[in-house]
This record gives sequence, structure tokens and C-alpha cells, in this order.
Amino acid sequence: MIAIRDIEWESCLLPASRDAELEAYLRRELGVVPPMARYLTPCPWIVRSMAGVDQYHALLVHLDQRIVDLIGLVVSEDNSCRFCYAAQRAILRIQGFSDQRTRQLQQDLLSASLGRRESTALEFARRFSRASPLMQWSDTEPLRNAGWSDAAIREIAFVAAMLVYFNRLATLPALPPERMEAISESWWLGLVRPFIARRFRLERGTEDRLSPAECAGPFAYLVQELDGLPAARAIRRVLDEAFASPLLSRAAKALVFAVVARGLGCPLSEGEACELLATDGWAAADVEATLSHLDSPRLDRAERALLPVARESIRYEPARIQRRARELRETLAVEPFVEFVGLCALANAVCRLGAALAR
Amino acid sequence: MVAIGVAALALLFIALWLRERAHATRLRARLEDAQLHLQRLEGAFARFAPQQVVDRIIATGEAAIGEKKEVTVLFADLASFTQLAERVEPAILVRIVNGYFERMNRVVAEHRGYVAALLGDGLLAFFGALDANPWQSDDAAHAALAIRAELAAYNRTLADDGLPTIMLGVGLHRGVGVAGVVGSRELSTFSVVGPTVNLAARVQDLTRVHGVDILLTRSVRDVLDPRFALRELPADQLRGVAGKVTTFALEGFEAMPSGPPATG
Repeated sequence: MIAIRDIEWESCLLPASRDAELEAYLRRELGVVPPMARYLTPCPWIVRSMAGVDQYHALLVHLDQRIVDLIGLVVSEDNSCRFCYAAQRAILRIQGFSDQRTRQLQQDLLSASLGRRESTALEFARRFSRASPLMQWSDTEPLRNAGWSDAAIREIAFVAAMLVYFNRLATLPALPPERMEAISESWWLGLVRPFIARRFRLERGTEDRLSPAECAGPFAYLVQELDGLPAARAIRRVLDEAFASPLLSRAAKALVFAVVARGLGCPLSEGEACELLATDGWAAADVEATLSHLDSPRLDRAERALLPVARESIRYEPARIQRRARELRETLAVEPFVEFVGLCALANAVCRLGAALAR
Repeated sequence: MVAIGVAALALLFIALWLRERAHATRLRARLEDAQLHLQRLEGAFARFAPQQVVDRIIATGEAAIGEKKEVTVLFADLASFTQLAERVEPAILVRIVNGYFERMNRVVAEHRGYVAALLGDGLLAFFGALDANPWQSDDAAHAALAIRAELAAYNRTLADDGLPTIMLGVGLHRGVGVAGVVGSRELSTFSVVGPTVNLAARVQDLTRVHGVDILLTRSVRDVLDPRFALRELPADQLRGVAGKVTTFALEGFEAMPSGPPATG
């Protein structure tokens, strides 16, 4: 446990900007424009992903609202992410939780007064996010013993992975938490609650198989592990959009994934990233030399600066991550920097998820 | 009569309700106090062992956890400390040593190392002992170079204050050790134990023999970034080690020449 407000947090590395088209898209899909969206508009796929992987939006079939919210609260608090924690508290308030009830929830978490089923899921989500050690499919056995189905376990891992994703999106560019903290504590949130509560009410999805075309593409193994769940198509879309985006080279993107996979100790995701590099003409020896020392003469100046920062994103240490991200921001234009933030976030989510789901 | 009875019952109900509410409030306050106390204890404990070790001990209730890990060990020791101790006042000595430890701790942490122990004037640090770290030897070598630079800066400060300067020997070795909370019931710490650690300490001793400040073994050299400038030294027989040990002086790091301009 930590006092979240005591966490060292840099000043924001990105200016807020508005994009009418993207905001209209978010309003259409989510009903609101999440506060973090305005900082990430230089890279449209990231903004679109906020709607694409929104857990309340017909994405989960086997989990209920309570466990999703509990996982959100536990992981954001455990990660010491001021932005995500404030966002999670705001969501709980919007759903009708008073401060007292949220405190009670936190006390329940501490005092182990939750049932075995819930506490097992929360412990798994916490360990999944920390990835020390990286969770494997065999680590899901306690969940099964506590009564969770395999499909529900996949969804628990997916929810935790998306928290890792949003956590890195907020942390790397040091998105300002003050506004979110003020929102989560504001008196007027209670007044607007009836109008926006529906957006944060879990809308259950339905089982859905992928088409053969959707089973291919980067990190196909992970998408196939989720097949049957709406989450599979959601993550397929985000991965496809990320790799199709023109802001950073495809090789730089694959290297970011490979570095994160190696740092986490996930050979499956590393192998997948290496295959992408091979299709871009990288010899296996060059890839190995680059991953071993996080540098390569094949990379241009901008790409070379990315790899050490990608490595920093693996372990959740906000001050260190933000210090390194600030150095990188000074050498990169805003668009590739934002795309890099999104890639690190996605790589951290995908590699953790891949390791946990692969059987 | 009925009305009086109903009123009495209502009063009784209200009194019981108030009593229960007060009781619940007291219990909640006690629970919050207990949580605060637990947080403080966790915070205090985290100063002596890494968070994940603390978590595991809390979860299992078992402190005697050990696991084999491949680590890179950095052992640093002040050279000629005894002479220094004889030359300066105790208060000055403590000031010099504390300033040195302060800086070295910062440098090691900055390079993802974990300082496990301060042994007199020596410092024992591990890379890769907590989280898996495939770049642990590069990190340790960069940390050793940063220690060299930091010590030079510290010596300038000491000289400006009219105080004696200090010299340092650093030994690096990579191998498998057993990581866990070790010690007695009264004094325990998270550390790595085994021959790997002993060899790093012996290699540090060799810095005086070869007249260099940073030495590393072949097991580190084999996985090190080729941009580190190394000089091979004659092999030495070390106490408690079978066969001779070849060491390499770490001279510097040559950054890669600037690549083509950024495309971003």
C-alpha cells in the first residue's frame, strides 16, 4: 500500500490538443471523451483503441461488473499510477459508489473479507500486472480451483492486460493526474452521474468467432487464444492499426515488442516480433545483437533512442519511466513519440497476456 | 398502554441502533488504525527486503525462501581505508564514508542494481537478483563506470574541502547464486549467497594487484556489449578457487557513432 498522491510524477510531456473527428468518434462509441484522449490525438490508433478495448462496451462475456471494477481498483492502486487510480475512483463514483463504499471496498481487499473466488482473481490480476515472475497458463490453476471457467480466466487476464495498457499510456507521457483526481473528488460528479452512469455500466458481450483473416497478422497466437471472446477481435484491431500506422517504421515497432518480450522473459512474443523483423530483412544475428545490448548500427538515430526507453517501461517505476521518456521526448517529434508511447503500452499488455494464455 | 409500549419499543430500538452504530464506528476506526499500522510496517520492512520478497513472505508466512538465480555481482571496496581511518578524525571519517555510500547507492540503483549490504567500507550489489534482467551484466558494467565517474566528482568535492580523497576497487562476476532472506532471527536481509559472490569479492581484491580500479571475469566479458573497452590481464590463482582466473580491466565504453538522421 502506498499513498498514491505521494508518488513522484513529472510534469506532462505532451500538449493537450483537440481533434474534432476523433472526439466525435469517441462520443459516438463511448458517449464521452476520456480526459487522456486529448493528449494522444497525434496518434489516432491510440485514441480509437480507447473505444476498441473499453471493457464496459460489450467486450466481456463471462465477468460481472463487480469483479471488473475490483480488478481495476486493485491493479491501478498496486501500480501506483496516480492517473489510473483517480480514473478508477471516478468510475466507481459514477457507478454510484460513495467514497465510504469505495473505502469499504479497499478495506475488504485488505482484510480478506472477499470470497475466495474474488480474491483469487484479484491476486492473479495483481501478479499479472507486476509480471515478476511473468504469469504462465499454469499460474491460472488457482483460479480454476476457485470456480472460474477457462473463458472467464482469459477475460480476467484480458482486463488486467488492458489496465497495464492504459497505465503505460498515462505514465510514459506523465499525463497530468490532478484534473482526474479533482474529478474523482468533485461534488458535481454526483449531479452528472445519472447522465453518464450508463456508459460505465457493464454491457455484456456475446461469444463471437474470428474469421480466418482475423486469425492471421502480428501476434496471431495471442488473438487465437482469445478466439470465441469479443476481446479477440478488439485486440486484433488494435494490433493491426498499430502496425499499419506510418509514424514509426515497422521494424522499430517490432523491436519495441521484442525488447519488452525479452525483458519480461516471454520467448513466444519475442519470437513473434523477431518474425516480423525477419520479414523486414533483419538477419537473426542482427536481431540478437540488437536485443542483447539495445542498440544497433542498423537503426537510425530516433529508433536507437527508443529501445532503452522501451526497456524502462517493463517494470512499473513511474519516476524512472518518466525521466527516460522526457529525455526521449527531447529528441523526437510529438507524433512518433506518442506512437512510441502507445507501442510500449501495447507491447507490455500483449506480452503479459500472451505468456499467461499460451498453453 | 399500547402506545406507551410501542414508544418504549421504538426508544429501545433507537438506543440499540445508536449503540450498534457507535460500535461499528469504533470498529471501523480500529480497523483503519490497524491498516495504517500494517502499511507502516510494510513500508519499514520494504527498506530491508525488496517489495516482491515482502509480498511473498506476507502471502506464505514463510521467510526461509530461497531460489537459484543468475546474477551479476558488483563488489566495491575502498582502497587504503585503514590508513585513511588513522589519518582523520572519526567524525570526518564518517562524513567521508557516508558521502561515498550515498553516491554509490544512487549510482547502483540508477543502473537497476540492488545494494544488499554495506560491509565496513565495502559495498555488495546484485544485478538481476530481483526481477529477471537479461541486460544485467551491461547494467553492472555501466554502473561500475558510473561509480568511477561519481568517485572522481566526489574526490574533487573532498579536495575542495581540504579532506583526503579516496580510491576504490570494483570486482564484477556473473554466475548462479541462491537468492533469499538470509540471516538469523535477530538480523536478516535479502541477499544472494554462494561462490559467485565470494569470487566477485576476490576479483575486487585483485584490483590492487593489477593496479586498476575495475576488474571483471570472463563470465561477464562473454555477455558484455562489445563496445565496452576491456584489457585482458594475466590469470591469477585465487584462494578457494580451482584453477587460475582470468580477469579483464574495464577501461571505458565507446558509444556507437551517430547513425543516420531521425526519420521521426
